[in-house]
Amino acid sequence: MLGFIAGRVGKGIVVLLAIVVLNFFLIRLAPGDPALVMAGEAGAGDEVFVAQLREKFGLDQPLPNQLALYVRNIAVLDLGYSVRQQMPVATLIADRLPATLLLTGSAFLISLALGVTLGALAARRAGRPADTAITGLALLFYATPLFWVSLMAIIVFSVRLEWLPSFGFETVGAGHAGLARAADIAHHLILPAMTLGLFFMAVYVRMTRASMLEVAGQDFVKTARAKGLGDRVIQRRHVLRNALLPVVTLAGLQAGTLVGGAILTETVFAWPGIGRLMYEALLQRDYNLLLGVFVVSSAMVLVFNLVTDVLYRVVDPRIEAAR
Amino acid sequence: MIGLVILLAVVAAAILAPILYPTSPWRMVQRPFMPPFTLDRFPLGTDALGRDIAAGLMHGAGVSLLVGLVSTLAALVIGVPLGALAGYFGGRVDDALMRFTELFQTVPSFALAIVLVAILQPSLSSLILAIALVSWPPVTRLVRGEVLSLRSREYVQAAVVTGQTTFTILRREILPNTLSPIVVLASLMVATAILLESSLSFLGLGDPNRMSWGFMVGAGRTAIRQAWWISTFPGVVILLTVLALNLIGEGLNDALNPRLSRGDR
Amino acid sequence: MLKRTLIGSVFSLGLIGAALVQPVLAQTPGGVANAVIQPEPPGLMMGMIQNGPTQMVAGNIYEGLLRYDEKLSPLPGLAESWEMSPDGKTYTFKLVGNASWHDGKPFTAADVLFSVDFLKQVHARARGNLAKVASVTAPDPRTVVFTLSEPFGPFLGIFEVGSLPMVPKHVYEGTDYKTNPANNTPIGTGPFMFKEWKKGSFIRLVKNPNYHVAGKPHLDEIYWHVIPDAAARAVAFETGKVDILPGGSVENFDVPRLSKAKGACMTTKGWEFFGPLSWLWLNNRQGPTANKAFRQAVMYALDRDFAKDVVWNGLGKVAAGPSSSSTRYYNPKLAKYSHDPAKAKALLKEAGYKGETVRLLPLPYGETWQRWAEAVKQNLEDVGIKVELVATDVPGWNQKTSEWDYDIAFTYLYQYGDPALGVARNYVSSQIAKGSPFNNVEGYANPAVDKDFAEGAVAVGDAKRQEIYDRVQKTLIDDVPIAWLLELEFPTITRCKVKNLVTTAIGVNDGFRDAWIER
Repeated sequence: MLGFIAGRVGKGIVVLLAIVVLNFFLIRLAPGDPALVMAGEAGAGDEVFVAQLREKFGLDQPLPNQLALYVRNIAVLDLGYSVRQQMPVATLIADRLPATLLLTGSAFLISLALGVTLGALAARRAGRPADTAITGLALLFYATPLFWVSLMAIIVFSVRLEWLPSFGFETVGAGHAGLARAADIAHHLILPAMTLGLFFMAVYVRMTRASMLEVAGQDFVKTARAKGLGDRVIQRRHVLRNALLPVVTLAGLQAGTLVGGAILTETVFAWPGIGRLMYEALLQRDYNLLLGVFVVSSAMVLVFNLVTDVLYRVVDPRIEAAR
Repeated sequence: MIGLVILLAVVAAAILAPILYPTSPWRMVQRPFMPPFTLDRFPLGTDALGRDIAAGLMHGAGVSLLVGLVSTLAALVIGVPLGALAGYFGGRVDDALMRFTELFQTVPSFALAIVLVAILQPSLSSLILAIALVSWPPVTRLVRGEVLSLRSREYVQAAVVTGQTTFTILRREILPNTLSPIVVLASLMVATAILLESSLSFLGLGDPNRMSWGFMVGAGRTAIRQAWWISTFPGVVILLTVLALNLIGEGLNDALNPRLSRGDR
Repeated sequence: MLKRTLIGSVFSLGLIGAALVQPVLAQTPGGVANAVIQPEPPGLMMGMIQNGPTQMVAGNIYEGLLRYDEKLSPLPGLAESWEMSPDGKTYTFKLVGNASWHDGKPFTAADVLFSVDFLKQVHARARGNLAKVASVTAPDPRTVVFTLSEPFGPFLGIFEVGSLPMVPKHVYEGTDYKTNPANNTPIGTGPFMFKEWKKGSFIRLVKNPNYHVAGKPHLDEIYWHVIPDAAARAVAFETGKVDILPGGSVENFDVPRLSKAKGACMTTKGWEFFGPLSWLWLNNRQGPTANKAFRQAVMYALDRDFAKDVVWNGLGKVAAGPSSSSTRYYNPKLAKYSHDPAKAKALLKEAGYKGETVRLLPLPYGETWQRWAEAVKQNLEDVGIKVELVATDVPGWNQKTSEWDYDIAFTYLYQYGDPALGVARNYVSSQIAKGSPFNNVEGYANPAVDKDFAEGAVAVGDAKRQEIYDRVQKTLIDDVPIAWLLELEFPTITRCKVKNLVTTAIGVNDGFRDAWIER
């Protein structure tokens, strides 16, 4: 198992490095640069001003030098400096990362828990009204644009019913601490995590349902049934456990999409996470910050993939036996 | 079945739009923010500038379908050959191609799409390209898996022995047999592409010269409190279309893949 | 007799006193102001960063020597009095005696001298404004003397906090300004002090207990909330999470609903100094827009009243020409163009326009501007001009305009109260230079206009300057180097219990020193 993990980490680092190089050039292909953006925002500017800024950003250096410097810094886990924000990129990201982890983590748990439960339920009632209702509902959440659901949720739950806060991470200036603060954050988390989670729930409902139906038709289940085991036991021990394998794989593959989806959610709900940070950095051509967010979010996906792979090995009896 | 009916309706709207609404959907034809069902000529009301929403929906059908279909085709063009090569040759080729695929699966796809559109500057073609570039990896994985399992079949081995070229084997013997899962996946990808286009438009990265549904939702959202209809109608149409494509995908799956068919049938 | 008069005057004095004291008594000290800031500023060191959000937040932290009322007459700031020599070349400022920096060090004339030097290095607009200053001296710690090389009419108009903020000498002298760690913990003399900045969430300022104006500020704290989505900002106001929406923080479609909400007040004041004027840059160098008749046709094709009524929800004013109505020497009688498609078509024929596609670059500042570009596109297509909208984001827009890669492009700029400060730069040929979107981007060159603007800046006396600026405005309106659209209005929407927020010509940007909350 350790060897397996080490191998995966090694491969992950190669992928990460490729992402750095690829994005480094991609970002610089975009029109404009951070100096022009800042001059533009200042509402004034002349050549001296823009040249000063370019020097400040290190943009007067040849491109390969800039890349070499960046890669060298990354090697020692230094993500560089955001001249625009006057802060190290690592600090900026570290400030925002917990919010994103909390949001995507809860959304992921919501989607997986609801998705697997509903999917299993639908599979058991396959072809009956309950099945149709569940798959229909899941499809509905999947097919509705994420941002539209978010806006509607704000109007219903924040404006009309006044149950839930519409924006932010916590009540600013309330001075909560400890449990009170946790409860306050949880209160703010409900809307963004639910809208993001319900979207991904659909994927798991469908996968669980299909997978369970497939497993249910396989020989070992028939054998178990022939042995006279109860339906509940069969469903839980034989069918669900095996049906979860493809679901776990899918969950790993969805990680990238989940982090991407957080950009929209964070924008609509003013959630101070790295998805929003990335979008703002892009619009400001804050190269170092943008690259930093890409590196960190990609690393997040890689770690997540690794975890699901390990999980897969734990869940799947066959792989265990083969080792 | 319902899926097919809805999709046909959308296609019909796309075709009939220039006939039913010959003038540009961008024309300001009535007072702004006119609620739906006020005037028979403008059944769905008007938007912030007084443009006919019904006309926009009709003209938008074509744009949204175009984005969905072309970007899916493009993703297939990238994904199928890569997957086929990886699955057929295995070993180092497989390893290299899979690392490359992982690269695209690791970067958060929506973030990558945003960056791509920002670089190329928003236009119909850059949207299509960006969507295609972030949606091909699942195709590669699927095709690779299928090819991997077909590769060892006897009829493929026979073809190898008779000295057919790799290209011919792939084209004649292997790929036709992977077609059904690809078709199912593609139908879902069209749906995802339409959603992706609307999300990009929401962030202001749509093509300003094309009236797409995504653009309409994005443009109407700021006025959602005083004029729900502006973003609701296109939102519902997106929902229905995506729903239809999913239903069709499932239908195809049932028909082509009886092993996974519904229920106890 | 004497006694009666005395009693009478005491009595009336009492009345006047009561009338004067009444509002003062009602100014309950304390309270927290919750405002929206959009977008999140890159930093708060006002000397080095001049973007809109920075000025709005940091206007509470920093101060200038002067402030301006809505007629743009100077008011005391860090200078309590000032005078100009008869030849218009020497200006003497007397500083307030009790001002100190937030770290406790006293504010003196040495800081003013240092600030002038500092801003000349890092503040592009200040560099231009100070171009005619030959020397600055400090005869004593409370007196500063500016000596000019030649008279400069608008000189007293360059001392507002955004144009010439005072920065602390003891913090910056001898350091590398750009990397000074103090940039993250700005220190000024203003009514509020920087306390905390949670990036992506909020900026927190607290009351300066040692502020140099007795009894001010009234508020204890200000929270600036960062909310990236316009619809979410509107909801934040409606649900009572924030009480202050500075100009431009919600989309125009939301303005009528929000300003009519219960307990909500709206003002369009506080932008007089900026006089934001919007226009279309018409590329004078190439393509159809190089032709004067074509440019005039554009002017006649535009339905600017529609833009005002529909796109801007009735806010603003159709522009008469190059000057905004709050800018000095504005003359409404010079206006000439109205919406006249027939005339536009005739002029197009005269220009020999053959249906070339014209690229139109919208301003990427949100939905309002996008809608406006769509409306203008329709206006132009209605008279037969083929238009393609070019989509771009802020950096792309900056690059395309400063590299002159466009045919028609939206923009709006501030005028800073005087044609020599904010108008001339858009038309004089010496301001044709790549690399900046704030100069003569259209590439218009006319020696007569150059001469008039040069004379107008140094002419002494209002009558003389009015005459010169009337002449140049007339020439410009006829030549249509750019297509003027609207004088913009950015309404500030507040909860009515927030009082005295907007009191000067730069409104919210002048800080919350007079603001208080009724309870």
